[in-house]
Amino acid sequence: MKLPTTVPDLLRNRQKLKRSLLEQDGLVPSRIAILGGSTTAEIKSMLELFLLASGIRPTFFESGYNRYSEDVLFENRNLWTFKPDVVFFHTTWQNISNFPELLERETEVERRASHEMVRFEALWEKVHIGLGALVIQNNFDLPRLRPLGNLEASRSFTRVNFLSRLNEEFGKFARNHHWFLINDIHYLCALVGLDNWFGRSYWYNFHMALSPTAIVALARNIATIVKAVYGKSKKCLILDLDNTLWGGVVGDDGVNNLVLGRDHPVGEAFLDFQKYLKGLQERGIILAVCSKNDPDTAKEGFSHPDSVLRIEDFGSFKANWNPKPQNIREIATELNIGLESIVFVDDNPAERALVSQAIPELAIPEVGSDVSLFAEILEREGYFEVHQIVQDDLDRANYYKANAQREATELTFSDYGSFLDSLQMRAEIAPFRSLYLERITQLINKTNQFNLTTRRYTSAEVETIARDPNYIALYGRLADKFGDNGLVSVLIGQIADDTLYVEAWLMSCRVIKREMELSMFDALVGQCQLRGVRRIIGVYVRSKKNSMVATHYPELGFQPTGESHEDRELWSFDIPLNNSPRSRHIERTEDQSPADAQSVPVPVTI
Amino acid sequence: MTRTEFLLEMDEILGLPPGTLRGHEKLDELEHWDSTSLITFIALADCNNDTSVSPEEIVNCSTVGDLLRLAGAEATL
Repeated sequence: MKLPTTVPDLLRNRQKLKRSLLEQDGLVPSRIAILGGSTTAEIKSMLELFLLASGIRPTFFESGYNRYSEDVLFENRNLWTFKPDVVFFHTTWQNISNFPELLERETEVERRASHEMVRFEALWEKVHIGLGALVIQNNFDLPRLRPLGNLEASRSFTRVNFLSRLNEEFGKFARNHHWFLINDIHYLCALVGLDNWFGRSYWYNFHMALSPTAIVALARNIATIVKAVYGKSKKCLILDLDNTLWGGVVGDDGVNNLVLGRDHPVGEAFLDFQKYLKGLQERGIILAVCSKNDPDTAKEGFSHPDSVLRIEDFGSFKANWNPKPQNIREIATELNIGLESIVFVDDNPAERALVSQAIPELAIPEVGSDVSLFAEILEREGYFEVHQIVQDDLDRANYYKANAQREATELTFSDYGSFLDSLQMRAEIAPFRSLYLERITQLINKTNQFNLTTRRYTSAEVETIARDPNYIALYGRLADKFGDNGLVSVLIGQIADDTLYVEAWLMSCRVIKREMELSMFDALVGQCQLRGVRRIIGVYVRSKKNSMVATHYPELGFQPTGESHEDRELWSFDIPLNNSPRSRHIERTEDQSPADAQSVPVPVTI
Repeated sequence: MTRTEFLLEMDEILGLPPGTLRGHEKLDELEHWDSTSLITFIALADCNNDTSVSPEEIVNCSTVGDLLRLAGAEATL
């Protein structure tokens, strides 16, 4: 469900919107603590709307006025009992009381900045260690007033300069702590405009650090971050061609007459949009084409000398005269992704309306026909927000090329087992490693189809499990002669006496039907035998998207325990003394990289 | 903004079916008249009528009709 875009419409309709949004199916619960350095009631109210619109049902804890520090340092009992999944620190420049004095030396300014960092880091670490929650922290907005005018930009003892220094330090902390994310209000206040960001009347009467207009922008931004953490960001952008990627109609005008490039103002706008899309593709967003065109003619458009995008940038290319909803469904099947993971951009309002009616799960922004606004509209919706970028994301484009080769090879075999052998698959399956924790967390929160429980974990929880000797937590990577699929499977089980309870077992759809799940099971049995576990209890929690794994446990030889109810089934497997491996076509390789030290994991950051 | 438009706006702010409020209702008897709706009222008065309303003025209002006069909504014929 889309929220209104104007602030007045959001304000006046929030009760009605909330009621409608609460009726949605499949809302993911999340416990969110808002710890404020100023009044937060309006923020909580607006954030609730944006989270519900993102498919997340929040329960809130709200600190007392300006008690963000005390509630953490003195372990507010209500906060600690609440056990939040996410702790949001709503502080602004108004919460800095220790600004430098006029003409203060650099060393003293540095000391003040360090003092502020020590203060904040103590809060963040306490939340992380004591609550295990993800931390979202505002960086600092700009004050409306500049007592020293333009000198504020250059002198270290000024407020603006001091806040920039703190923002740099906050950013550094975020780079080194994967459980800590910045809510970039430094950017937001520029986007909204300082005159709209701070409302004097709201501050002096209610101690609201932000105006209602700013609160809408803030709430939307936080919801975008939380949405990304819960794996609800979109994965694929399907694009029309004519008047979307270039000006003109390639079939009528010919490639040489397309409006694209710096020689023409509209052409330059199309060029900049292509560059924006290329940037999305490079960080792992799948691009696809859906165009009403002759296929060869459509491809000619990419031979334009100013075209930034090339055919190989697209994971799927549908140019024909079929209805666009049909093509889009085929693209989703080909790419093995859900329709709800797709954004569709088309300059033609009739096509947008047709596709929207046929496939309501798609995100279809009303981009209009002015290409200079397309990227801004996509960004405003936060479709492709990421809270981390891992190497697997950057390799995604190569995956689709390699997969095309696999599919072509499969056609040459009449026996599927022989085809699997021909792939020369190698799996690395091992206990969680700090090197892979970010990707493991990403996979847990994004995988829906091959997912036995659809249980989600924050990065802090994954980190805790990795260190807990009461868990067997395995990751699986799979490579073959065509390329490396990356980290594609995760299995988490908790040991109680001589029984292991599988809490999470999931696998990327990239490697469905390669029997990777059998290799994971073999590895799990091996680990269980080493640890004296004699029985495995598998849990299947039925969801709208995971019916493909409904028979996973019986196919492995598990027996029903008789304790199943409603959407939850329990299956049991007694590990025989001489267990035969199930996997026949995958060679398991030993992990060659150095073992983790028993310390806080260092995440891979890019 | 007319009186009718204002009352419909207040219905929405307070989560009431359109046409519920008539203007004579006492604010402290309305379920959703709280700090959030108060701030929404101030913000919308600012957006719709370019009228600046302070909390002190609102404190002196006891009915929906008092808010209507404060927001500068004109009477309909």
